[in-house]
Amino acid sequence: MAEAEESPGDPGTASPRPLMRDLKAVGKKFMHVLYPRKSNTLLRDWDLWGPLILCVTLALMLQRDSADSEKDGGPQFAEVFVIVWFGAVTITLNSKLLGGNISFFQSLCVLGYCILPLTVAMLICRLVLLADPGPVNFMVRLFVVIVMFAWSIVASTAFLADSQPPNRRALAVYPVFLFYFVISWMILTFTPQ
Amino acid sequence: MLQQDSNDDTEDVSLFDAEEETTNRPRKAKIRHPVVSFFHLFCRVSAIIVYLLCELLSSSFITCMVTIILLLSCDFWAVKNVTGRLMVGLRWWNHIDEDGKSHWVFESRKESSQENKTVSEAESRIFWLGLIACPVLWVIFAFSALFSFRVKWLAVVIVGVVLQGANLYGYIRCKVGSRKNLTSMATSYFGKQFLRQNTGVDQTS
Repeated sequence: MAEAEESPGDPGTASPRPLMRDLKAVGKKFMHVLYPRKSNTLLRDWDLWGPLILCVTLALMLQRDSADSEKDGGPQFAEVFVIVWFGAVTITLNSKLLGGNISFFQSLCVLGYCILPLTVAMLICRLVLLADPGPVNFMVRLFVVIVMFAWSIVASTAFLADSQPPNRRALAVYPVFLFYFVISWMILTFTPQ
Repeated sequence: MLQQDSNDDTEDVSLFDAEEETTNRPRKAKIRHPVVSFFHLFCRVSAIIVYLLCELLSSSFITCMVTIILLLSCDFWAVKNVTGRLMVGLRWWNHIDEDGKSHWVFESRKESSQENKTVSEAESRIFWLGLIACPVLWVIFAFSALFSFRVKWLAVVIVGVVLQGANLYGYIRCKVGSRKNLTSMATSYFGKQFLRQNTGVDQTS
């Protein structure tokens, strides 16, 4: 994807951008989401590779093992994809209309990367679901999803809130809250069959 | 040295004309980067092939969809970062400056006097052919998916259209240059064609 970069490869020669550099940039952003603090990395050097990877991973994990090969999880995969990307685009448009000074792709980048805690929650939930179903099972999953949901909200507002004028912050954060809530709901209500 | 493209109608390689009578630089016909040219076409074409043959290859929609998305992503990265720079000397990217404003930068390599830096015509043709044909195909697929109500494929096709269309748009902007815009370039192209036809008719009569 298009990346913000100070030096897109060596301009004098024909050498291409190294792949490792892009991979490292993606990894660095993942770290910034896991330990959110005020930094410009997610905003300045935006890229959409991370959100794509996370979206595909999440959609793959949200598949039901269906006995019928006709409905082999296809609609759910596309559904997750559409919810994530359409939701992120809508939130971005909303924050731009509210007068935020963040660019379109930067906002998509932040929202996409902050799905990481919820993807981790999905992974944990799938592991927990391998054990016996029951109220304890559900309570553990509920706790994990709530913690990760809060983490996503904190991480994304740490990056996004500064770009809004102060009296509009709640209006800009509320759709983000809804977005991650819908994803958390999908994760919590997931059953493998 | 890479610079912003200035208004140089005479020395730019025309996007549409294969033979350019005003050129006075010999253009090499051989392919200088065969591996790069191969990969430029490989990912795009294989994504299209997987999409068309998905029912035959695998009964799982998920596998096909993930494969296509992976191929499209690899193709996007390769074309944007590698093949454009090596094959035709163009590149584009997004730059966010200190104030947080985003700028889109489109650059083309100025033709240097060294022989080995000229753009080979065969490579240029391969590049533009691959770049233009594939997004058009994906748009056709989008309409066919829409009208035949295979809506679950629409997500994949839209991803294809967006990724490949973005590269196409970026490289056309690089080609056209920062000061001209597409309408003025199209007008000048058709104007030249019109004049050429008219003077050609006068000469033969």
